[in-house]
Amino acid sequence: MGANEVDFARKVFASYYGKAEFRIPKIEQREFGIGNQKKIDARHLNFGNAQEFRNYLCNNTPMFVSHSTSYYDFPGASPMQKKGWRGADLVFDLDIHAEGKYGAYAHLGRVREDVIRLVNEFILGDFGVKKEHVVVAFSGNRGYHVHVRDPAYLALGGDERRELVDYIMGQGLNYTEFFSLEGRPAKLIGPKPSEGGYRGRLARGTIRLLEESPGTLSRLFSKEKERNFFISGINEGNWSRTSLKSNDIVERLKPVAANLPVNSVDTDVGVTQDLSKLIRVPNSIHGDTGLIARIIDDIAKFNPWIDARIPGGAPIKVRFIEDVPAIEMDEAVGPFKKDDELELPQYQALFFMLKGSAIISDAKD
Amino acid sequence: MEEGLGFAVKYPFSASAKAALSGTELNERIVDMAIERLKKALKGDKSVKMLLHDSDRKEEIASYAAARMILGHLRNNFLTNSFAVNESKKVHDHLDKEDVKTVDAVAAEFGIVSGSAGGKMDIDLPTYLKFSTRNPHYRLINRRLICGRVEITYDEKKRLVEEAVRKHIEIIPLVKDPPDIIKSAGKKLVEELPKTESRIIANVKEGDHPPCVMRLLEEMKKHQNLPHQARVFLSSYLIAAGMNDDEITGLFSMLPDFSEKVTRYQVGHIRRKEYNVASCATVMTYGLCCAVCKIGSPLNWHSLDDYRKKAIREGTA
Ligand code: SF4
Repeated sequence: MGANEVDFARKVFASYYGKAEFRIPKIEQREFGIGNQKKIDARHLNFGNAQEFRNYLCNNTPMFVSHSTSYYDFPGASPMQKKGWRGADLVFDLDIHAEGKYGAYAHLGRVREDVIRLVNEFILGDFGVKKEHVVVAFSGNRGYHVHVRDPAYLALGGDERRELVDYIMGQGLNYTEFFSLEGRPAKLIGPKPSEGGYRGRLARGTIRLLEESPGTLSRLFSKEKERNFFISGINEGNWSRTSLKSNDIVERLKPVAANLPVNSVDTDVGVTQDLSKLIRVPNSIHGDTGLIARIIDDIAKFNPWIDARIPGGAPIKVRFIEDVPAIEMDEAVGPFKKDDELELPQYQALFFMLKGSAIISDAKD
Repeated sequence: MEEGLGFAVKYPFSASAKAALSGTELNERIVDMAIERLKKALKGDKSVKMLLHDSDRKEEIASYAAARMILGHLRNNFLTNSFAVNESKKVHDHLDKEDVKTVDAVAAEFGIVSGSAGGKMDIDLPTYLKFSTRNPHYRLINRRLICGRVEITYDEKKRLVEEAVRKHIEIIPLVKDPPDIIKSAGKKLVEELPKTESRIIANVKEGDHPPCVMRLLEEMKKHQNLPHQARVFLSSYLIAAGMNDDEITGLFSMLPDFSEKVTRYQVGHIRRKEYNVASCATVMTYGLCCAVCKIGSPLNWHSLDDYRKKAIREGTA
């Protein structure tokens, strides 16, 4: 990205930061990091209050800004041991890895589905966290961050948090153990839909599959009578109301079981279990996209291209310096060819500039 | 339920034990008892004396506090962790003989409060995570979990208390300038400590192993207790890596509940039966995997080039 583009982006960012609404609980106990070349060039910063933080962003306007998931007595101290750890939010990072610069954006919808399941089934359901302690934010790029601020989870250590991630990702899940043969003649006894955790999810997932695409599990269940009889059994935890053999039923459930965990939780970077990690400040701007890491109220309705764009700004004329494939934003955008020159809405122009695919056009009309 | 000094003697970390101690002065006799208590921990001796007189009981409680002072002064991980393991096992033995009310009272010292739902006992998830051991049996994925409550049995609850006691004792406040009798007691004790085979651990440390193995070795070096699966995994890995039984047994002597006889037998058994080294997937189910190496088996670590190894270690792969 050239100096023109950087200047332009900085100006847009700074004017957004002048009015942006941050909601950072206990800001004075958090460590901050900022980045220009990389996501984090400098860390161990701290701010006494929201106003100080805003002033910093308006005056220095970094491309990236993140804060610790942890709370500290001395957030600005270094090395880490001197900070005086006080606890940490429980944070999950969900994203997509796809080929190419623009490959991931087509899959954002899938990550969103995973976020919905993570929050509803796991965090609110299994973990019993109250809704008011959960904040979902767009990451500003290829995924979402879920912040859990339930005081009961604050003191958990890294290993304990890892255990939660493993649970969510289904590590070591062996669903066949949910089933046993009991009685005489032997009945296949298994989970009921009303149960919690993976057991209930497996039962509910199976029933949903039977109802939505009846023939998938077995051609037998295409017949409504067969299907309903089988489902009536599952509701009572009796999985034998079918002519299929017991081990055959269990075997056929494999694809159902495979879809129960939340697969897009990113453990590579260790945001959940590594208590020294920094996470993008909710409602700050992601410097690779110009999109806001927006705090989301209703995830089912969230569309990053509409809800996370920096509002306002006049259209800008850009010149593409490489080919760009078509992207489904709030409207179909592109494809563009190298040397294409055209006027784009500010958020699109910014996006392609920050991605290094376009520059501000100097051609006069 | 038993109360007063009888309770305090068995559970010397409890609030009532602390209350019972107020006004008790540290003296030679108590410090000697503390040394005895620590030495017994080294041997894994869980026996307890019957104490009838209040004065004896108070001294016994004081010996626990004095032992903690000695540990706080010495800051020797091996001693501290041996003490923590032994004391927590003693507590478990006591709990096995107690009525429900007493078990509940001890559990409550650590914030372990169980509820019941549908005739089953359960506890809240954060507490469960804090005090469950790293054993596949306790992995969350194998548990019934509803609305932040984890189903447990009465026996499991006692096991959680044992773990809570162990963790509590492991964290010893630093004692900077202790009374002279504590200092000299510490000195005496260190002289009698078994010499650990630091030579062997040094060799292995320099060695080049996958992150999961390095982490276990690190923990062992700090004399932390390792769960059974971790020991079996480590033994089979080290055997495959070419260590002999003496070396492996020497290494395991760093563990706080080390018994040479048992270890030798187990390592020999693993070698004779030609145990396969667990795959990464299995190591993961034990909760021992701590990186993303994408190598299928920890043994394949040695086929990676240095660049890749470094990237994995630093988490930038
Ligand atoms: S991926 Fe395999 S080798 Fe690497 S830490 Fe995990 S278990 Fe060990």
